[in-house]
Amino acid sequence: MADKAAPVIRLRDVTKSYGVGSAKTPVLRGVSFDVNPGELIALVGQSGSGKSTLLNIIGGLDTCDAGEVEVLGLDTRKATDAARAKMRNESIGFVFQAFNLLDHLTVLDNVTLPASFTPDAKDLETRGREALRRVGLADLAKRRPGELSGGQKQRVAIARALFGNPKLLLCDEPTGNLDSQTGKEVIDFFRELNAKDGVTLVIVTHERRVSSVAQRVIAMKDGMLVETTDEALAAGGGPA
Amino acid sequence: MMPAKNLVKMVVGNTLRSRRHFILSAFGIVIGIATFVLFLASTEQVGAVLERIFPVEEVEVVAPQVSLLGKDISKRLDDTLVQTIKTRPEAKRVLPRMSLQFPAYGDGTFNGSHLSLEIGGAADGIDPSYVVDDAALSAKEHEFFADVFKDWESDPTPRTACVPPGPKDPNPCPRTDRYYCDKVDRQCHHRVPVVLSPTMLELYNTQFAKSHGTPVIDQDFAKFIIQQGGMERMRFTLALGVSVFGSASAAGKSREVEATVIGISSKAKKIGMTVPLAYISRWNTEFVSRDAGKTYSSIVVTLAQREQLAVFAQWLQDKLDLRLEDSLGEKFATVVFVIRLVLVIISLVIIGISSINIAHNFFMQVTERRRELGLLRAVGATQTDVQLVVMGEAGLIGVIGGVLGILCGWLLSLAVDGLSNHYVPNFPFKPTTWFHFQWWILLGGLACATFFSVIGGYLPARKAARMQPAAALAAQ
Repeated sequence: MADKAAPVIRLRDVTKSYGVGSAKTPVLRGVSFDVNPGELIALVGQSGSGKSTLLNIIGGLDTCDAGEVEVLGLDTRKATDAARAKMRNESIGFVFQAFNLLDHLTVLDNVTLPASFTPDAKDLETRGREALRRVGLADLAKRRPGELSGGQKQRVAIARALFGNPKLLLCDEPTGNLDSQTGKEVIDFFRELNAKDGVTLVIVTHERRVSSVAQRVIAMKDGMLVETTDEALAAGGGPA
Repeated sequence: MMPAKNLVKMVVGNTLRSRRHFILSAFGIVIGIATFVLFLASTEQVGAVLERIFPVEEVEVVAPQVSLLGKDISKRLDDTLVQTIKTRPEAKRVLPRMSLQFPAYGDGTFNGSHLSLEIGGAADGIDPSYVVDDAALSAKEHEFFADVFKDWESDPTPRTACVPPGPKDPNPCPRTDRYYCDKVDRQCHHRVPVVLSPTMLELYNTQFAKSHGTPVIDQDFAKFIIQQGGMERMRFTLALGVSVFGSASAAGKSREVEATVIGISSKAKKIGMTVPLAYISRWNTEFVSRDAGKTYSSIVVTLAQREQLAVFAQWLQDKLDLRLEDSLGEKFATVVFVIRLVLVIISLVIIGISSINIAHNFFMQVTERRRELGLLRAVGATQTDVQLVVMGEAGLIGVIGGVLGILCGWLLSLAVDGLSNHYVPNFPFKPTTWFHFQWWILLGGLACATFFSVIGGYLPARKAARMQPAAALAAQ
């Protein structure tokens, strides 16, 4: 699993707090770990353990108070806003529990949304339809998100995440709003994506069935890490 | 930064998808811009009408009236003074005017109506170039005036001898439309060319024509002359040295000459008539004194720049003890300027309030749409991109609101003009429209709407840009 290539994610002593003064609440307390290329990582832990915050910091959607965060070779703490945005646009895909689709756009337009911020983006429709084909929704390109089921919405969100052929996929509770069958299909898709395309995945989850397919499970408790699969399952594993 | 084409597409899509937000935001801008263009267009039109009546770049220099024991001892305006004023850098052109200084009246028949008008004191002379070179003249009018409005008495062409005809005899002179047989020297003379002011034309059309049943005169006076059957039909007799009230000149002599109205000129005496200067000078010499033929009633100065008026007026007062004639035009222009300023301030206040309204609406929008904005950041938008999207939406509301505002203002102006044409009675210089929509007013309205809308959108856009994407995405 671990190879000599540079890690996709490198975290060192990452700390993060919310609030100020006496109301200051630490969320991350010196988190350190690496994620290597091609890994499928499950980040587990109870609510409030800091796993979503950590995922946001990795994706450049949030900033840490201290420590080192290096993602795809970019020091996100020192990088400019433009550099972080470029990284998100070209190399990272996000999948959220709430899908976050824009209701006023068609399915295809939602999928190609990242291209709005890419100079000289070409063949948008072809690429968008290809991403939809990969998630099995090629026929729904002109529908609106409001016309889709929860599972279809999540697959559209995954197609959007895959549109730019990212090296890293960050998923925050991707099956949290799905029934068990649909959730299973999504997890199978992620596993296939990781196995065939070598995409690195970090999945924040409560669910044991998700963590069970991970090559490594990183458990979090009170803003700190426990990096063994068994311990992780014990600490953060949810319903099977 | 995101490509401009994508920015425009996103801004247009976002703006059009929320009609409620658009109406709430654009309403104030539409009202503000409508009032802005309407106020400016109306004051522009009033200013244009006033400038037509009182050209402000031209001033008239007069001598303060001073008398001693009932005798006028005012400073004399003569050629020396004219030459002195010509040396001033503020003066682009200096031309003297001379009033007729003895009794006279005009007598003629127009369209079957017999007309007699006292012109002693109401006639003056001016250098023909002042009338001929008027920039407001059309090429056709300029050519006609250059041909006719001059001192025909100094024409070196030998005059044709003639026998003065009886009342019913035909005119014995060649070119009867222009020449008449003078009873004194029994020679054919060109009729004295006369120009009237637009004020006289307005007074005639609105007051005289209706009461006397004479035809209304078209703005195109040359066309009117042709319609009336040529210049001969515009002729009248000038009784020099005789008043319509019965008094006579101090010299006790009198004679008649024939004159013809050749056109309308804004350079003519406002109330009265104007002929080439040499005629008045000769007549004043003949009927009053040699001195009267060399004394001007005023000196018309065309300023190089309107702004030099104050400097020139001060010099006149300090060095020559002369003053400018009270200029109604200048006073009106000042009043119009102040009114325009007040109206523009009122409309800017309305637009300013609209800008605050836009800011309020956009703050609400940014809060409502924070998940969407967070998503844009997640898929690659920079802070600048988000700020541009929100400000672009505000700008687009400004552009559309501005266009709608201009449209509303224009429609309102049509309604006002329609009501005015139906219900407001005619009066001198009543314009056919109360509004003059200059291109800069429309462009200014659009620019103003866009600027204030973008200003209104700036703070909400900054707030949107500074939101942490993670916090925005977590919003319910």
